[in-house]
Amino acid sequence: MKGWTGHILRVNLTDKTYKKESFSEEFATTWLGGRGFAAKILYDELKPGIDPLGPENKFVVALGPISGIPAPNTGKAVVAAKSPLTGFYGDGNLGSKVSEHLRKAGYDAMIVEGKAERPTLLYIEDDKVEFLSAEEVWGKGTSIVNEWIYAKYGKNVGTLNIGQGGENMVRYAVVRSLEGRAGGRPGMGAVMGSKLLKAVVVKGSKPIPQADPEAMKALGYGDLKKVHELDQKSGWSRQSTNGVLAWCNEVAGLPVQNFRKTSHPDAWKIDGERLDKARVATYGCPSCTMKCGITIHDKEGRESELDYENVGLLGSNLNIFDLCQVGSLNFLCDEYGLDTMSAGCVLSFYADAIERGATEGDFKFGDAERAKELLRMTAMREGKVGNLLADGSLRMAKAFGHGSEAYAMQVKGLEVAAYNCKFIPGQALSFGVAPIGAHHREAWIISFELKSSSRESYGPEKAAKVIELQRIRGGMFETLVACRFPWIEVGWQIENYPKYFNAVTGLNWTLDDMWRTADRIYSLIKLHYLREFPNADRKGDYPPAVWFDPSNADTAGPIAGKYLEPEKYDGLLQHYYDQRGYDKRGIPTKDLLGKLGLSSEAAEAEKYAKLS
Amino acid sequence: MKITIKLIGPLIYKAGFSEKKLVLPDPATVGDALERARLEKYREVIITVNGRAVCFSDVLKDGDRLALSPIYSGG
Repeated sequence: MKGWTGHILRVNLTDKTYKKESFSEEFATTWLGGRGFAAKILYDELKPGIDPLGPENKFVVALGPISGIPAPNTGKAVVAAKSPLTGFYGDGNLGSKVSEHLRKAGYDAMIVEGKAERPTLLYIEDDKVEFLSAEEVWGKGTSIVNEWIYAKYGKNVGTLNIGQGGENMVRYAVVRSLEGRAGGRPGMGAVMGSKLLKAVVVKGSKPIPQADPEAMKALGYGDLKKVHELDQKSGWSRQSTNGVLAWCNEVAGLPVQNFRKTSHPDAWKIDGERLDKARVATYGCPSCTMKCGITIHDKEGRESELDYENVGLLGSNLNIFDLCQVGSLNFLCDEYGLDTMSAGCVLSFYADAIERGATEGDFKFGDAERAKELLRMTAMREGKVGNLLADGSLRMAKAFGHGSEAYAMQVKGLEVAAYNCKFIPGQALSFGVAPIGAHHREAWIISFELKSSSRESYGPEKAAKVIELQRIRGGMFETLVACRFPWIEVGWQIENYPKYFNAVTGLNWTLDDMWRTADRIYSLIKLHYLREFPNADRKGDYPPAVWFDPSNADTAGPIAGKYLEPEKYDGLLQHYYDQRGYDKRGIPTKDLLGKLGLSSEAAEAEKYAKLS
Repeated sequence: MKITIKLIGPLIYKAGFSEKKLVLPDPATVGDALERARLEKYREVIITVNGRAVCFSDVLKDGDRLALSPIYSGG
């Protein structure tokens, strides 16, 4: 077997043991890596109903067959576990040298079980695993942990770590890496915290098995150069993702004031041009030649790395149009290890609920100083308010009552990304059917809706486009594992990725093979969901109710008077189910599961729920 | 008639401006405006007028805001 190391590292924090396990070629080619490995491992090894913050949950780090191989944007790692935010499978990816070092240590994935007695740093160096004390940095923020790790091990290591948010099990705490990256929105950092796992450091020195290393080397290095040249030509990196902000503001898609409004006259103050002008440094993930991390000096003079999602959700969505203040909120989220996106939605929901009288409090839209204090209280789970905010917007809405769930901006418990879908039906569908909750990674269809289709349409072409994008983004890129940015942003052809895969594995896969694998993984994640929520129905695939509310429609601008129509959305959802081969609840049918080779997984699911 | 042209993201650096006013003879289409602003080569972009997607042949009116954006895959 080439392309994979063929091994998984299993670590038990309770009894400080570890073992190297082998997997078969069939496992490799069925699940590929990254998200595929993680979803399959957790499906087989976790019993439904376990406490995601208990020792029986497992934290998985999974890499793909091109991880650690020099090729465009392959420096990513997938982190996964049962989510404390959504209550079922959750995952995310982050740029980290773990992608290279864990593979060079001889592993394609790592499973962390149990719970340590004391705060722990897990140190992996090739075949050696050590359980070291992290008490010195327990209670410290992620940049301090980073410096501590640098001082101990130097910079040429792969790392994952958590801040106080993870330690205190904030349900949307993320995992961070030395390169300033964050991932695992549905509380993967909280799962690390629940295990008293403060950090993972990996150093590997072995060659990664490849079918044709010389050919891959030539291909990979050549393509890194080409992608860099394309980026230079396109100019994408000047504003990186925050170019999206000005566009969303133009087309009535920007989240403003907890998504109540879709644009704002002050949006220009936090847009990509302003970000570019305020830039003090630029960062990227390993193996990246189109770096997207633009840092600025925040209000307190610290470096803060911004992109569109955190500017949209910690900025316009909170009515904060001061880029330095947005930088401060982002810095605090990064330091505490909180997901900037969920944090933005949680704060905006809190302000909205106070304003609408659903709860009492002293936070108002636009109050950046109070927002900073609330982030600290959240990360520390300080007092009633800190604990409330640490549990995410869905749980907050259930505590508030008064119909507030309608404007808690989440799907399946995961807060939505920074696209206001009051009248963007396809993107609303994309959030609705994203398998782990409202993640923008799965299918970003807005460009298609505005360019090649009709915004008014709820037709089958939009469902088809969502599926196409899910296969590419949530499927292929999350399993190989690689960043998607070169593909659309600078026009790097999608066909290049099976080429890399074939060069390292010696196989002869096409994109269709990739799509079939992606469909298998999406179906398995749906079984995860069904197993945890046996009464699941199609309402779970609906976006926030406020987008269906005529009284919430814009009163002026391009979508004045428009809103998502429930019957039409339901029709669009049905198009999606029909094209996917799902039943009316949005669950894969037995027939589809059989075709995807998931008969045994279906039988397992049937212990808990009925399949059609 | 007078319209506004707004460019998004990297198009700003290619065209050398972010936003500008343009005076056009009446009637004028989206294509006319792009030609006048020397932006007609940017065909693989999303073009909106007042936030709604348009074609090159759509007719403009006084006060319109024409925006051009590259296709993004997200934030």
